Amino acid sequence: MEPVQKSVMPDAMLDLFKRTMPFQVVSDGMLRKIASKSWQVSYDKDDLLYDAGDKADDIYIIVSGKVVHALQPGVNARRPEKILGPGDVFGWAALLEQYPARLAKATCIEPTEIIRINGEELLRLLESDPDAGDVVMSRFATMITRDYTVPDLVAQLRTIHRQMHAADSQGMNLTLYRMSLWLKSPRPYLMLIGFALFLGFWYLSVEVWKLPRFREMPGITVVLKEWISKDPTYGLSLYTGEYYQHIGMSVWRVTQAFFLATLLGVPFGLFLGWSKKFKEYLFPVFETLRPIPILAWVPLAIVMFVATESAVIYLTFLASFFATALNTMLGVESIDESYIRAASCLGASKSQVFLHVIVPGALPFIFTGLQISVGVSWFSLVAAEMVSGQYGLGYVINTSYTMVRYPTIVIGMITLGAVGYATSAMVRVAGDYLMQWRVRELALGGQ
Amino acid sequence: MNATAHEERARTRGAIRIDDVVKVYDPDGAAVMAVDHCSLDIEAGEICMIVGPSGCGKTTLLNAIAGFHEITSGSITLDGEVLCSNAKPKADPGSDRIVVFQNGALFPWKTNLENVAFGPTMQGKMSSAEIVEKALGMMADAGLSGVEHNFPGEISSGMRRRVEIVRALMNDPKVLLLDEPYRALDSLTKSVMHEALLEIYYRNKVTIFFITHDLEEAIFLGHKVAIMTTRPCKPKKILNVDIPHPRDYSVLTSKRFRELMEETNEAVHEEALKAFQAGEKEG
Repeated sequence: MEPVQKSVMPDAMLDLFKRTMPFQVVSDGMLRKIASKSWQVSYDKDDLLYDAGDKADDIYIIVSGKVVHALQPGVNARRPEKILGPGDVFGWAALLEQYPARLAKATCIEPTEIIRINGEELLRLLESDPDAGDVVMSRFATMITRDYTVPDLVAQLRTIHRQMHAADSQGMNLTLYRMSLWLKSPRPYLMLIGFALFLGFWYLSVEVWKLPRFREMPGITVVLKEWISKDPTYGLSLYTGEYYQHIGMSVWRVTQAFFLATLLGVPFGLFLGWSKKFKEYLFPVFETLRPIPILAWVPLAIVMFVATESAVIYLTFLASFFATALNTMLGVESIDESYIRAASCLGASKSQVFLHVIVPGALPFIFTGLQISVGVSWFSLVAAEMVSGQYGLGYVINTSYTMVRYPTIVIGMITLGAVGYATSAMVRVAGDYLMQWRVRELALGGQ
Repeated sequence: MNATAHEERARTRGAIRIDDVVKVYDPDGAAVMAVDHCSLDIEAGEICMIVGPSGCGKTTLLNAIAGFHEITSGSITLDGEVLCSNAKPKADPGSDRIVVFQNGALFPWKTNLENVAFGPTMQGKMSSAEIVEKALGMMADAGLSGVEHNFPGEISSGMRRRVEIVRALMNDPKVLLLDEPYRALDSLTKSVMHEALLEIYYRNKVTIFFITHDLEEAIFLGHKVAIMTTRPCKPKKILNVDIPHPRDYSVLTSKRFRELMEETNEAVHEEALKAFQAGEKEG
């Protein structure tokens, strides 16, 4: 005889759910969602609900009546046969990983009312709220162990996957993904407005209103014209090879100084944080030298290095080194003592703790340090290039000043801003790539 | 089946004897006594719950067993072997006694699988293929399949605790030392974690030394509950919980459970009050 399908009464269903083992602790909101995907069916005495080997699609909850549930011998239940009554849940094979098929035979022995929920739909609902989902699945596990006496099957229970907002991927894709999020937010437009206001103010104050202190400044149209001119008045524009020679020179100097600072600063910072002795010897010296402004080092640098080039790189290196080493040290000190204890508990030697706990644990701080380091390396590079050196953006700015080429000064400044921003972005991308654990955590809202 | 063989072995390993242990912090200066002539016997394969008010010195005891801190006098033995004594005040940390920390100490920069595999990988006793196979098997048994390649930060706090316990069990330890592992969890997740811990325990039968300030949790989980005095810490009352294992949540509403709660509640409350008053004085 065909089962009769009835209309759904959500409130009664909610009460029933709360009497069941897996659902009793779920919030009303979630239960209502589950109820909306469930339907009630009436069966007669001796109706076969399903047999072992049938396709496992729905989960069953008894509203009234009685069902005999007999697990097939292959699953090694301690008590294979069980009589189920109101509030009991069965048909959980629909939630197992490797068994799309029924493991038991279920037959009504009385006229029985049953609520059915599709297993796949239930999982999808649970995944929309992973915390509640974990609890439900965990209670299913307890029920399978305790009521159905087949603990071995618990291992096959499906797990709730957390939605990663489509970001379940590599660091590079993640950067792109965040870029697209950024484009969808109002922020880029606010940023454009900010730039427009700034450039508008520049234009109006210099060229339209000719305000007292701005009168001598190069105006925006003059600068732009000079910048994109094929035959620039003062000799430097997008079309002159010299322009790129200056950029190349500055980038090359920063690169050398930055890598040298990283290569020396990171290990130095790691040891400062790792070894108390090492820190006691060297940190006071370090802290005395660190606040000395780079410009104060210029005379000594010139005396120390005969070649100007090395002097410039040395000055650029110096500020970066201090920033990197200090942040690395703070990174090591920020590591929770329990990570180190846990590692030694698990049998890690001192050097393994260093490699597997100290270094990765300090990485977020190290990259903060590297971003600062890139910033200050540009800062000190320009200072160094202004004082001594040939070529480079700092040199351009300084010589343009002495030779009264005001538009070229501004071209040099804007170029510095753009190149500095690009290098800093590159460090950030490298950091994201190396610290996917952190990026993914943040993508989930920094739980 | 090998489960019985496993249980047999469990019953003979993991017995801890804490004998007359004293711990004084800063003996030359303020001389704060954290543990006062504390003696406690924990049988192999037993769940021993240590209950006491916050800051009473329970964790000091745990740190002494784990080998994080020295003791001032007395001795602690594990299966007859001396961990620490007057002659050697600090035990060596080792993978036979693994700590599960209060706030969790899964390495956030390693995936769950790498975390679980960490112990054997560091010890280098197995090939990496064997390690991965064992880790995957144990994670599946604990209901953790599907999250192996996620980072701990991506899964729920309840699952993180489970990963941490599996990471400990990977090393086949004699003793698990749990330091209020469920303190930061909401009561719902906590109840699920209790059931999960028992499930894991029934499969792996290790000795469990479990610190808590929650009496209900202690009686629900423990074979033995040691109620500690407030600083300095020593057992005030030792209760053998005669509710048979395996247990599940229906135990909480049973008559015997209520009786045991009543029997011990007063002792716990008294110590909590003392701790509170001491705190007021110090403050």
